[in-house]
This record gives sequence, structure tokens and C-alpha cells, in this order.
Amino acid sequence: MFNQEKIYMPVPQQLGRGDRMGRGPYEKSGIIEDNGLPPGKTVHERFDIMFPLEELEVDGKFVSRPAAYDLDIEVKLWYLPFGTKKTDPFLWQEASKTVSISKTGK
Amino acid sequence: MKFSVTGTLAFLAATALLTGPALADGKAGIGLKETIAAKSGKAKTLAELAKMYDSSSCIECHQDKHDEAQKSIHSRSIYGTGRTASTIMSAIENGLMEQPYSGVKSPKDVKVEHLMGCAKCHLPQLADAEDSVAQELVNTLYSWKDAQKKKDKVAAKQFEDKLKSVNINCLVCHNRNAITHKWQDGYPKAGVVYGSKDGDHPSDKFPKMAVSPIMSEAIQCGQCHGMGPNMELDEPTQCCTSYGSYLWAYKSEGGQDSCQECHMKKSKLGHNIQSYRDPAMAKAAVDFKMESYGYHWRDGAEIKPKAVVKVEMTNRTGHSIPDG
Repeated sequence: MFNQEKIYMPVPQQLGRGDRMGRGPYEKSGIIEDNGLPPGKTVHERFDIMFPLEELEVDGKFVSRPAAYDLDIEVKLWYLPFGTKKTDPFLWQEASKTVSISKTGK
Repeated sequence: MKFSVTGTLAFLAATALLTGPALADGKAGIGLKETIAAKSGKAKTLAELAKMYDSSSCIECHQDKHDEAQKSIHSRSIYGTGRTASTIMSAIENGLMEQPYSGVKSPKDVKVEHLMGCAKCHLPQLADAEDSVAQELVNTLYSWKDAQKKKDKVAAKQFEDKLKSVNINCLVCHNRNAITHKWQDGYPKAGVVYGSKDGDHPSDKFPKMAVSPIMSEAIQCGQCHGMGPNMELDEPTQCCTSYGSYLWAYKSEGGQDSCQECHMKKSKLGHNIQSYRDPAMAKAAVDFKMESYGYHWRDGAEIKPKAVVKVEMTNRTGHSIPDG
């Protein structure tokens, strides 16, 4: 329903010039930015996830109602040494929780 | 009814491994002729290079350290998990062969100088070998790849073992790369094991031990675990930059631990130097917290319920994560 990725890494510059990112060690020289997790610092992320809605007819009127009142949330921190989950992915940390909203109210 | 929500936070990175002196070759420093490389002469084959830095005699008295080191990826620094070997071939094909002034049109043209972009850290002692060793190494890499393609497991294992015959072993850290400031501290001498003590050492091959002023300092690891482009090369390469991050983002903020303190001592891993592959180190490296709650958000007259997910990550290491 909702899937979002954020990438943390030092972004190497290609051949020490310009605005292009380098990939292999033979063309990486320099850093464009370091978006990795900095030592001793706390990085905060916030995700706003809308509950899915469905249209229902109530007393002749169409109204939107949540299609679900519970969302299972999973957040995973992966280390991808080779940039893809296909090669040697490492699940570093994970957390999960179910978020519920009230079914009654005005 | 429940819906699933998945969030992924990903590290993308590369790793690397160690560096050091070359043969005398017209250099000015006093004591260069006493090094292992100078005494042995340049290796002509991989076997000769392996013999030049053969540390098998260490096992007799230091079996525990040897066993630890064998578990570390340093002990297979050219092969790695197989990906290192593949990346060296990528560096030949996508790097050297595409660079118009490298002098490399095919893998047959690769010389020691060409491989030092990788070997500076993955096999620093390659600097003490002739170009025939570079060619033997390249041929072994491609033979390994070919055997894998043909699903010839026996041949692939033979080539894999040959690639693993040269690596970051005891003598790379405890001799060849044990001294960084050679004009101040002298060049590492053949027959001497560098560590934390001076004196006699009960070994025919290494009858003396001497203090390495950097053995417990971060710079020992920093020789390979990188600051950025390796400017001393005609074609600078860059792999990991963790030593740079350590200096400028950790030490500069008052951080006090060395690489060895976390990766060897506190972790109790000793010479089995690990990072995220060790579960305890991975857990200690990043504090990870997730909070979430839901509420009925109102967009004007419309009700649009939402979940708010807050993630907090604190890097407890001495360098940026990811890095190698």
C-alpha cells in the first residue's frame, strides 16, 4: 500500500569533477555530499501515511470511509554493499507496529 | 481489515581493506635496504610473493590469533566474498581499458602499476612484485570467472584458493605496514615483528620484535580505510572513506576511541576484525527507534485518517555509516 525508500550514503564524485556521481572505485574521486549516518549524531525521519479510503453510499449520499482502521507498519534498515538487494543485502535493524484509528466519533 | 506498510531505509556503500612501502628504487630514506622486499628482491610469481610474506611460522605460537584472523575478510582480501575479485575485473574492463591513456587495451596489458589502485589496500605487497605477478593475478581472476561460468566447481575452487594465497596476513600489519612515518621511525626491517614490545622473539625467521608506534593507533587502519582519492596514484582511485570520516566527523567532535578499540577490543573479536557481519557490532553500531500513531486528519470538510511514523537513528560508531 505504501512503500518508500530513503538512501543514506556518502555520494562519491565522478573523477573529482562536476556534478556526476561515480560508481566503481576506478572512477570515484571526491564526495558530492555525505548523506550517510554521521557519527554521534541522531537522524530523524518522518513518514505520513494516509489510510486507504473507500466511497460508500449512506442514506443516498456518497461518503468516504477508511477501508481499514489498522495499518501494519514495518521499517527496515538495510545495508546494501553493492547497491541492490539482489547482492549480499544485510538487514541491519527493523521495527514493526500496528497503528489503529478510532472507529467511532463525530 | 489490515493493510501492510513497508518502509526501507538503505545504506549503499563499498568496502576496502590496508598500504605501505615499496622497494628501494632510488628512494632517499635510510634503511630501505633492510626491508623484507629489498632483501628478497621483487617477486616474479604469485607463489614467490606469497613466500616473501609467508606468515605460516607465526601459527606455531599464535594459533589463536591466526584462527581469529582467518575469519576476517582481511585473510581473503583479493577474493573477498567473490565480489572483490569481480570488482577488480570491473576495474580492469570499465576503468583501465576505457581510460585512453592507461596503456591497457586488454587484460594482457595490465601491469603492477595498473593494479595498485585496488592492490594499494587489497594487496599492498604487490608493489614488491614484478609485472609478471600482475599478469598471473589477472589470469587467475579470469580463469576463476571462466570456471564459474562453466560451472566447473573443482577448477573454480583451485583458482579461488590461488587468489586467497596472497592476502592481508600477519606480516602486512606487523611488518610491512607497521610503520607509517618511516623517516622518523625507520623502515620496517626483515626479521622483525612489530607490535607492542621490544626484544628477542623466539623464531628463526623473525628473531626480533619491536614496538610499532602506530599499532594501536587509528592511522594503522587508516592506511587503507581511506580518506578520499588516492592522490599518489597516476589515476587516483577511491574506495572507502571511513578514516577521513573518523578524522573529520568523529575525532574533530571529541571522539576518543580508535578503530582497534571498537573493532578488536570492545567487541572481543581480536584479530577477527569485523564490522556489520558480527551481530553484536551491528547492533551496537546504530540505535534504531520507531514510534507511530494514527489520527483522523481533516482536510477541510474531508476526513483523511493517517499514520505518522517517526524513526530515530543514532550512529554510535566513529565514522559515517555506511563506509568501509
